[in-house]
Amino acid sequence: MRVAVVDYGSGNLTSVTGALRHLGVEPVLSSDPSVLSSAEKIILPGVGAFGDCIRNLRQTGLDRFLEQVKDKVPILGICVGAQMMCRESDEFGRHEGLGWVDAVVRRLEMAPDQSDLRVPHVGWNELHRTRDCPLFVDVPDDALFYYVHSYAMQPCMADLAVATCDYGSRFMASFQAGMVYGVQFHPEKSQQHGLTVLKNFVERG
Amino acid sequence: MLRKRLVTVLTFNDGVLFRTKLFEPDYRYTHNFVDAWSVDEIVVLDVTRPGQGTRENFFRVVKDFASRCFVPLAAGGGIRSLDDVKRMIDLGADKVVVNSMTVERPALLGEIASLYGAQCVVCSIDARQTADGRRYEAFTHFGTRPTGLEPAKLARQAQTAGAGEILITSIERDGSLSGYDLDLCRSVTEAVSVPVLVSGGAGSWQHFVDAFNKAGASGVCTSNIYHFTETSIRSAKNFLDKAGIAVRK
Repeated sequence: MRVAVVDYGSGNLTSVTGALRHLGVEPVLSSDPSVLSSAEKIILPGVGAFGDCIRNLRQTGLDRFLEQVKDKVPILGICVGAQMMCRESDEFGRHEGLGWVDAVVRRLEMAPDQSDLRVPHVGWNELHRTRDCPLFVDVPDDALFYYVHSYAMQPCMADLAVATCDYGSRFMASFQAGMVYGVQFHPEKSQQHGLTVLKNFVERG
Repeated sequence: MLRKRLVTVLTFNDGVLFRTKLFEPDYRYTHNFVDAWSVDEIVVLDVTRPGQGTRENFFRVVKDFASRCFVPLAAGGGIRSLDDVKRMIDLGADKVVVNSMTVERPALLGEIASLYGAQCVVCSIDARQTADGRRYEAFTHFGTRPTGLEPAKLARQAQTAGAGEILITSIERDGSLSGYDLDLCRSVTEAVSVPVLVSGGAGSWQHFVDAFNKAGASGVCTSNIYHFTETSIRSAKNFLDKAGIAVRK
């Protein structure tokens, strides 16, 4: 299985590639479309500010490449990688996303009775599965995943979200649209359940 | 519900794991006991004094942890520029811990945040009580240099500058096993809206409960790692669970 991790100058690639190697997959790390085009699975990581990430992706021309292959090759976006697949984000100003999925990225909002919750949302939290998805095969219902973010994907539409998470308000923890998958949490930092999600993407995505 | 975190903080002197007491390397470990599957998060800090070792030995440590621990990893000690940050991230760290620069050049926090996101920036504040015991003062440079600043105020400034998390450490309690300085921790948790990790003084599981219930901590740190063999981190989490604290088991 040829798994590629998109290297566009944003994100903690070491964690993702380390987790894949632990699963016995030797990932190809590249920003070159001609290299990426031979991949059977593509992972789009993302750590950092939305604006920087999407700018880097566009500057490298990788946005156009991913657009072309997204109906043929399964793509998994992680954290900001998933957020970039949405229409737009208002993190540090308004930024247009790739627009592959019908959702927007907004700052985590706290309901009035939860004003004591701290932002960023950092740590282990559960997710609530809303429909079947290959990513969560063999993952127990009460599994915890590691989140670290201040902005989140909304709304949680029934035909898009596969899992939601509650922190102050409800947001999309994971979505699937055809071959395009996204997770807000960090599977590469979520111990055995996170590794299962990555394994599922590689084997079943 | 978001779980309270148990964070292991490991201090390295020239790439060798040491326990510290009052911020001085105190006991050298020959093995690394971190239970990478039960701990919620790991912080590695380079406490090598200038001229006492090379940075490369610590870089090796970061890379080693990053390659075999699938939990969040924060790295710090000697973070003075964006280049330092980039190196840590490239080695596999998810967050960087910034200490002295929070005072010397707080703009660095914002620069890191705009490049890697606020969640990447952990502002570490080392503090001790003033001589009259009535307030606290933050210190930099391994706890040697007084700043004249109250830790709560410094934490608030750091949050404004771009920090996504605060790590508050009591210098006097470091290695003491006598419990966290709850007043110090509370002064910081009340001053900021980002998560706060408390460090320095943990000696029993009850100290964790107190930090969560009485001082508003989001995570408790321990560097006294011989407590953290596989069974003991589980026993800590069982204790917290029974005390009504939501933890990842």
